[in-house]
Amino acid sequence: MLRCRDVGMLLYEYIEQRLEPSVSQQLEQHLADCPGCLAFINTYKQTMRLSSDLRCRDIPPELQQKLRSFIKTKLSSRRPSFWERLRSHLTGLL
Amino acid sequence: MAATQLDDQQLIPKLQARDEAALEALMAQYQARVFGLALRLSGNRQDAEEVLQDVFLAVFQKIDGFRGEAKLSSWIYRITANAALMKLRKRPKVQQIPLEEELGPAMTDEGMIAEPVVDWSRLPNDELDRKELGQRIEQALNLLPADYRSVVVLRDVEGFSAQEACDMLSLSEAALKSRLHRGRLFLRKQLADYAMVHHA
Ligand SMILES: [Zn+2]
Repeated sequence: MLRCRDVGMLLYEYIEQRLEPSVSQQLEQHLADCPGCLAFINTYKQTMRLSSDLRCRDIPPELQQKLRSFIKTKLSSRRPSFWERLRSHLTGLL
Repeated sequence: MAATQLDDQQLIPKLQARDEAALEALMAQYQARVFGLALRLSGNRQDAEEVLQDVFLAVFQKIDGFRGEAKLSSWIYRITANAALMKLRKRPKVQQIPLEEELGPAMTDEGMIAEPVVDWSRLPNDELDRKELGQRIEQALNLLPADYRSVVVLRDVEGFSAQEACDMLSLSEAALKSRLHRGRLFLRKQLADYAMVHHA
């Protein structure tokens, strides 16, 4: 029989699906009988879900513009000469 | 800005030849993820903007040395993570987070849970506002020390695999595991404390 403390120690591996099937089964058996551990695991998973909602997938258009003008300035102010390019090409070959 | 998606094999030689359309394609392909990653890692919009610019500049300057042992995307995200974490570490240190044992429920001597645990994940929206919970986790993330924040952001926010996160941070799996678990427990505790006070 697993105790709540054991469940706590196995929690990470359980969530990451790294437990042996037999251990995983014992843990689920404990969860079926223990509302405290079940609530803890549910809220642990919910925390991970809320974290994933924080992912930001957009970049503001003005920032895209800013990035392009920054890169343009940097690249035109320091365009390598033919000799620099040749040298970096040769060192790349070594 | 409808740049076509090019794969690494097409993009790299063009970048090395300083092809401007390839530069544009690269930015179009990666800018949102680089910015998002930088924003969550640094926790600061100003820093994230600087990281965004520095990353693409570094990529263009170092592309000649890129040998293709790693995927182009991994290489770019690694540069991003390093740059963003450098910004984060420059800021005053936040407090230490509690030990693992202190972030879980109290246990009896027999190792059983000694107090009721509320399952706030099941509360309906009118009893606990999910939007506020979302804001709360953002604040909680800002309280995490850099070592913990970085693993939580890479794994749970950005969804990188454990292996990718280890590579990006030069961490062992054991270190990743302990930081990630403790980081999650810390965030969970912050949310639980909030839910206790605020649920209707
Ligand atoms: Zn239990």
